Amino acid sequence: MRLKLGFRIWLLIVLLVLALISIFITPNFLQKGVLITSVDSNSTAFEQGLRQGQVITQVDGREIKNLEDFTNTLYGKYISNQSVKTILKTNENEIILYSKEAPQITVSEVQRTNIKLGLDLAGGSRALVKAEGKKLTSEEVADLVDITRNRLNEFGLTDLKVLPVSDLTGDHFMLIEIAGATPKDLKEMVSQQGKFEAKIGNETVFIGGEQDIASVCRNDATCAYIETPQQSSDGNYYANFRFSVTLSADAAKRHAEITDKLGISLNNSEYLDKPLDLYVDDILVDSLSISKGLKGRAEPQISIQGSGSGTTMDFAYDDAKSSMHKLQTILITGSLPYKLEIAKLDTISPVLGNQFTKFILIAGMVALISSSIVVFIRYRNFKSSLALILTSFSEIILILGIASFIKWNLDLMSIAGILATIGTGFDDQIVILDEAKQKAILTLKQKIKRAFVIIIGAYFTVLVSLLPLLWAGAGLLKGFAITTIIGISVGVFITRPAFSEIIKKMEE
Amino acid sequence: MTRVRIPIRASFKMEEQQNQGEEPQKRKWYNRHYKLLLLLPLAILIFSFIYMVAFYQQHGDFIHKDISLTGGTTITISEKINIEELKQALSGKLDDINVREVYDLITREQKAVIIETKNEGCNESQINQIKNVLEGYLGYQLIDGENSSFECTGSTLGASFYKQLLIAILIAFVFMAAVVFIIFRTFVPSAAVILSAFADILMTLVFVNILGLKMSTAGIVAFLMLIGYSVDTDILLNNRLLKRTEGSINERIYGAFKTGITMTLTSLVAIGVALLVVRSFSAVLTQIFTILVIGLGFDIFNTWITNASIIKWYVEKRK
Repeated sequence: MRLKLGFRIWLLIVLLVLALISIFITPNFLQKGVLITSVDSNSTAFEQGLRQGQVITQVDGREIKNLEDFTNTLYGKYISNQSVKTILKTNENEIILYSKEAPQITVSEVQRTNIKLGLDLAGGSRALVKAEGKKLTSEEVADLVDITRNRLNEFGLTDLKVLPVSDLTGDHFMLIEIAGATPKDLKEMVSQQGKFEAKIGNETVFIGGEQDIASVCRNDATCAYIETPQQSSDGNYYANFRFSVTLSADAAKRHAEITDKLGISLNNSEYLDKPLDLYVDDILVDSLSISKGLKGRAEPQISIQGSGSGTTMDFAYDDAKSSMHKLQTILITGSLPYKLEIAKLDTISPVLGNQFTKFILIAGMVALISSSIVVFIRYRNFKSSLALILTSFSEIILILGIASFIKWNLDLMSIAGILATIGTGFDDQIVILDEAKQKAILTLKQKIKRAFVIIIGAYFTVLVSLLPLLWAGAGLLKGFAITTIIGISVGVFITRPAFSEIIKKMEE
Repeated sequence: MTRVRIPIRASFKMEEQQNQGEEPQKRKWYNRHYKLLLLLPLAILIFSFIYMVAFYQQHGDFIHKDISLTGGTTITISEKINIEELKQALSGKLDDINVREVYDLITREQKAVIIETKNEGCNESQINQIKNVLEGYLGYQLIDGENSSFECTGSTLGASFYKQLLIAILIAFVFMAAVVFIIFRTFVPSAAVILSAFADILMTLVFVNILGLKMSTAGIVAFLMLIGYSVDTDILLNNRLLKRTEGSINERIYGAFKTGITMTLTSLVAIGVALLVVRSFSAVLTQIFTILVIGLGFDIFNTWITNASIIKWYVEKRK
């Protein structure tokens, strides 16, 4: 068959190739082994250099191909409760461990594709948090999100999303999503209130929240600003920030009593010999030097300063800005003025997810095959039926390609969306086929134009009916809406035009 | 024996003769009675309205809600457990329980057990309470995220989700109606599409309620999908009738019917067989597909009887 392929078919082919690249070219494309998804930061494995994201390729010199290999080889060694030696080889390093217990890490199969599955398929946890008996404003939620993110980061959780969400009724929530393993104390971590303390030595000067902090200067250049970044001798840039905090009378008095006992720093005579340490949930987050002029004074206005660094001026500035913002947030909301309530909490085991995915693929295949049979029976024309089926199949690849590209997490509802899309795709192509076969005295081009009038009409009705779902239900149904919108748009603008061109070529 | 054969042959012949005259006769019948056909959807619509009013009075709501809308917890335990014994052991200890299993499609082997129970909130103590009851029966620890999954929706959130989804459907319907009006720019054809989409939803809702299906958030989303699915055949039909001139009205209806029924049948077959597969593991997809199958069934009825009759009437009158 020597056909000159038209522009639309070429477009489809090029996009298909791009989609396949976006799905299958991963950093671990040819890597064998198991991927480390988390390492307990207090463990010897961590000290030895084992990190999240590394791929374990060998255990004691034995090749690891999959999860089963890994579990069998490694965990079999630790039954006897005696110290054993284990050599783990990763794609980056080799570490040797002596211990009675298996290393405290979690692993998963190396990702062969860039397709990311949602929590309900891949496992993980999700919490939707609001204030008990109070409607939060969007500013309050933004502060809550900031402080929670900081706190959870201090716990060493990395594959983590904390974001503000709102819904159709104007309620604001904080959404926390953690992929993979669920931290055991997630519930406490989420519902516990953040605790902020500023200490000098062992003595608490003030704590976060209204009682000790009268006000924090934010968004006012006269009392909160970042200096122009300066380059230091090591080549990096540093930017100092400074903002003022007004303490309550009680806290100011405490400050005076404690600083009165301090001496002058030996390293820098401008400052006192002990810094003001800022703790969030008992973890030190920052240490501020106290200028000597403040010694023993019940000064309500204190200036808090710090710095950010980076390889360029812009990076340094941004780093300083985010550090300043973090501190301001902690000081204001250090202890939240409201009690948190978990409105929704899902912790999903990854065990069933794999099977789910397998079954969904089966369901998709049988659906595609059986509707293909209907098409074959109806048209009894092998070529056009095959074109129809292949076009629908290419649509699935395009959707998955886009999902991988924008790093969209495919959850169960998204998959329902993909199935819905394939359904409408089939329908539209049937319209094109039938319009092309109409007896009217029109050119094929005009006939296909007529088909598109119907298709575009149907497209817009579906599109607008999906819009409200983007907001309803705190965004938890967004997956369905977005995948379907991507799917039908790909269909109308890419695959349907290509399909009609294929039909034209076949008629010629 | 020979005696019997003759009358059979005779009747066969008669049928053949009837067949020859069938097309025009059918057409005649359709031309005479298509307006009367509208009584059928009308009767079902009236029944549906009465049913829904009665349903609302009895239950104080439009649907039977499941725990994703009333608030509650779904616990999935990936171990082998006898579900009958479990059900008996839990009844009385947990509110409103519902137990089902997940099994392997091919081997029929049980893979997990799903327990649903009603509870108010999702704070730690409330979840632990359920966990303790289950652990008490099972005799081993449930570690959420490992051998078990917990999905909890607080009751206020469930109620708020329900309200929002109803609003979402309402907005979606209004948006759809607006687009339909923009497409056809005339009242009767647009109204016919909107009416048949509305009838699809209402009839499906009644059917689902008669079946006693407990609806989840996903189920309501399925209704939203139905809006999209049901209007495309209507748009096809009205487009062929209003914007084409070739062929008689009946020929155009029949042409549209051939296309439209292929569309709906492929969707029905695809969703139908997928339903058989997903039933083994996913309540969410099972519910979506069940509602779509019912809805598409009603869509055949409403497109080719309700909408077709109205639009034929309209076109005949305009002539």
